[in-house]
Amino acid sequence: MSKELIRLHNLCMAFDDELVLDNINLYINDSEFLTLLGPSGCGKTTTLRIIGGFTTPTSGDVTFDGVRINDVPPHKRQINTVFQKYALFPHLDVFENIAFGLRIAKVPQAEVEERVKEMLSVVSLVGFENRRIDQLSGGQQQRVAIARALVNRPKVLLLDEPLGALDLRLRKDMQNELKRIQQQMGITFIYVTHDQEEALTMSDTVVVMNKGRIQQIGTPEDIYNEPKNAFVADFIGESNILNGTMVRDNVVKMYGREFPCVDGGFAPNEPVDVVIRPEDIDIVPVEQGQLVGTVTNVTFKGMQYDIIVDFRGFKWLIQTTDYSPEGGRIGVRIEPEGFHIMKKSEYSGMFGDYSSYSEEYEELADAGVEDEEESEDEE
Amino acid sequence: MTTRKKNNAGNRLLMLLVGLFLYAPIFILIIFSFNEGNSSTVWKGFSLHWYAELLNDRLIMHSVYITLLVSLLATIIATVGGTFAAIGFYGMRRKARNTLTAVNNIPMMNADIVTGVGLCLLFVVLFNGWGAIATWVNSWQSVIVLPERLTMGFGTLLIAHVCFNIPYVILSVSPKLRQMDRNLVDAAQDLGCTWMQAFWKVIIPEIKPGIISGALTAFTMSVDDFIISYFTAGTSASTLAMTIYGMTKKRVSPEINAISTLLFLTVLILLVIINVREAHMEKQRQSRTLAAVPAVPVRKPSKITPVLKRVGAGALAVALIGTLIVTGVAARGDRVVNVCSWGEYIDEELITQFEEETGIRVNYQTAESNEALYSLIALGGADFDVIVPSDYMVGRLAAEGLLAELNYDNIPNYALIDDQYKNLSFDPENKYSVPYTWGTVGIIYNTAMVDEPIDSWSVMFDEQYADEVLMINNSRDALMAALCYLGYDINTTDEAQLQEAFELVRTAKANGVYQGFVMDEIYQKMEGGNAAISMYYAGDYLTMLENNEDLAFVVPKEGSNWFVDAMCVLETSQHKEEAEAWINFIASTEANLANMDYIWYASPNTEALEGYPAYYEELYEEELDSEIYEIMAAPPEVLDRCEMYLNLPQETLKFYDKLWTQLGI
Repeated sequence: MSKELIRLHNLCMAFDDELVLDNINLYINDSEFLTLLGPSGCGKTTTLRIIGGFTTPTSGDVTFDGVRINDVPPHKRQINTVFQKYALFPHLDVFENIAFGLRIAKVPQAEVEERVKEMLSVVSLVGFENRRIDQLSGGQQQRVAIARALVNRPKVLLLDEPLGALDLRLRKDMQNELKRIQQQMGITFIYVTHDQEEALTMSDTVVVMNKGRIQQIGTPEDIYNEPKNAFVADFIGESNILNGTMVRDNVVKMYGREFPCVDGGFAPNEPVDVVIRPEDIDIVPVEQGQLVGTVTNVTFKGMQYDIIVDFRGFKWLIQTTDYSPEGGRIGVRIEPEGFHIMKKSEYSGMFGDYSSYSEEYEELADAGVEDEEESEDEE
Repeated sequence: MTTRKKNNAGNRLLMLLVGLFLYAPIFILIIFSFNEGNSSTVWKGFSLHWYAELLNDRLIMHSVYITLLVSLLATIIATVGGTFAAIGFYGMRRKARNTLTAVNNIPMMNADIVTGVGLCLLFVVLFNGWGAIATWVNSWQSVIVLPERLTMGFGTLLIAHVCFNIPYVILSVSPKLRQMDRNLVDAAQDLGCTWMQAFWKVIIPEIKPGIISGALTAFTMSVDDFIISYFTAGTSASTLAMTIYGMTKKRVSPEINAISTLLFLTVLILLVIINVREAHMEKQRQSRTLAAVPAVPVRKPSKITPVLKRVGAGALAVALIGTLIVTGVAARGDRVVNVCSWGEYIDEELITQFEEETGIRVNYQTAESNEALYSLIALGGADFDVIVPSDYMVGRLAAEGLLAELNYDNIPNYALIDDQYKNLSFDPENKYSVPYTWGTVGIIYNTAMVDEPIDSWSVMFDEQYADEVLMINNSRDALMAALCYLGYDINTTDEAQLQEAFELVRTAKANGVYQGFVMDEIYQKMEGGNAAISMYYAGDYLTMLENNEDLAFVVPKEGSNWFVDAMCVLETSQHKEEAEAWINFIASTEANLANMDYIWYASPNTEALEGYPAYYEELYEEELDSEIYEIMAAPPEVLDRCEMYLNLPQETLKFYDKLWTQLGI
């Protein structure tokens, strides 16, 4: 493991008595790609702005390389930021935008040209030096913003929803591009997003946040496979979350039936949340099923069907390549590895039921091209 | 189709008429600024004469200097202040920001007169407070002597202009700030800027268009402003608009047309610049949004326009500074005398001559009327040294102790003043005044429009001339005509007599005798032959005669008023020595001759009065018409039937006011 670079210690932030960050503790290693993931208003942008120095925390400490930097102004931090909507300077051309930080630092002209050229090639914008900012497409502006930050050779690059304004195709390309740049430069990226897929694709470490608190820290795999609570389970991917009882180690009971699983370490008969990912459920003939339910809805998704199955009034989402007709009775089987058991939390019962499922649910979930209010609130 | 076409034609005609209605006055003004003659109604051929005259007019050049200086300074201060205020507003929470924006907008909507009077009162109150503090401070120490008496002047004018300019700057800068990405400042700081660096390198370039529009608007407002300046400039500073207004009070000179034309063009050019800039910015914004997605072919930024822009801005700056220097040269000198007289009431060559001879700078101002001058002085808002009130007002000021006793040893030229103008009723012991001019009031009539020669005030009340008579819009003069006609003393305090005189005027008004009650409009109406009969001052009649040879003047047989305007020094004057030097200079024969020739009012200097016909002959190589000379300098038999106004008691003045109000004009 590489060495620790930034540490947030008992960080709290309040705007007008409204607690935005509640006791955040987090350390960030050198050369790490860390993502702060959460819905809008969860405090991720505030955390980023505190690291960048634009906001002073109400209490708690920020240390950089072991030195407390709470009161160090942004221009004295070895940290640069790529802002939401880029915040490029409209009155300067591409070259001067990228050279801005170097000019402030009074770097000699020859070196400025060399470093800007180098950055232009890193972000694949060679030949765009004299363009005006308003002559660039969104993706190109994004690259200029990244180059403008990286040219200063920061130890840490903060990225605040940098891909939010791009269309889907461009977003995918830029995700790869960002990962490539991070590896090429070998510096720490702290990335803020509300898009779980983006977080899982690019990050070394994902920090899931909600309501000003950290819900879980872990690798993308950990987060996906071992969600700590119903919120994380629901926010990362699709999950069916059910009430269950841990009869003993490796045995969980729901619907009055005992199922073998691979989790343990709970008190006997402890009530738990049971997470079953939609892709971990196999459809089998009714007589072979551990459970039997009725298909109430089928949606064709290209690679698979999303089907909603009613098991005694609780609706599950199942992703399968086998077609089952609406109204049909089916049986399901779940391997022991398919069960993930979580302790009960404040989020229990709030997520994981697909009763209100409709075909638009995906769009609704994605309708979070948002964060306008969040940034406004935080000014 | 046909009906639509017809409608179109109708619409166009309407548009044309509206346009004509809106712009005709300005066109007429511009056309007459090139008039050869000195009338505003009679065209005598094309000439740039009045523009040349302007450049030689000291009073106007000085007010151009004051106007430019105050506008520039106010613009600079308001632009800096307004920009920072706008940034402050921008940083506030929405509720506070909205409240403050509303507060900011009110002064722009507010009536100028309210702002003007408000500021004037504020200054007076503050100065009184300061006076008390200064007196107290001076009473217990003598190391620093604080001035105890502050007066309104350039400083207060500047403060007022800054005051009313700031809202315009804020209004123009705020939208630019709102359009700016909030993260820009963060981004600049993130890249190593301190807040100040971010301000200069990012905020300023971003909001620059707004700042420039704001500054241009502020400058236009300043150049254009009259009302607020009028209330806050006090007496020692006068903007161009104020000077023009002052000029209209005494004699409408075509110079006004010329200067108004220039003012109109200046404001027009500024407005065009502001609007073109805004249209340009709007276009740029639209192209920005359009160009955001598709990749636009590389366009090298054109290097020519910025260079042109810079050259243009440079030229403008040089022109402004140049004008300031040229107009400002006059404002040199350490010794000063502040003179307040009437508009167009001096040959300005004399001012230059006096300054060259003595090295004393003359700050020449004008007031509108004796009453206005009185209220300025009584209010304590005037810092004049020399004033030139009329007879009865000299009496009033002296009685109230507002005049300083003159040291006649310093005014040897006083000996040249004819004895008949000394020891008059308003200054019986000759302690306060030196006569400046004198003249008579009489009837001016158009011989082409009136059949019989006129010699009586009766024509002013005669239905025979219904709608042909112009009555003077001044209670004292109007009732004087009626009192004379009725055979009463013009200084009567008998309310019954006054009431009778008033009824005479009221009946004539009811019978439609009067075309109107006027002061300055008399020039146009009489010169243009729009009215047949009016009453006015002899000197002004001679000016009208130059433009309309049919006009005649008579001092009616029943008698009339004769007046003396005299130079006095205010008790509060800080430059008594300079003031007496000025009075002595003006009392000289040479100065009196020059003045007589320029303003057509009679001189009290015996040598000058008697020598004027010879002077005229030498200057113009033609003989002076003796009739004209007699109108200018009324001979003793005419003067014998005229009387001078006395300062009336307070109750009588109030009674005058009461009667005049009943007239409902």
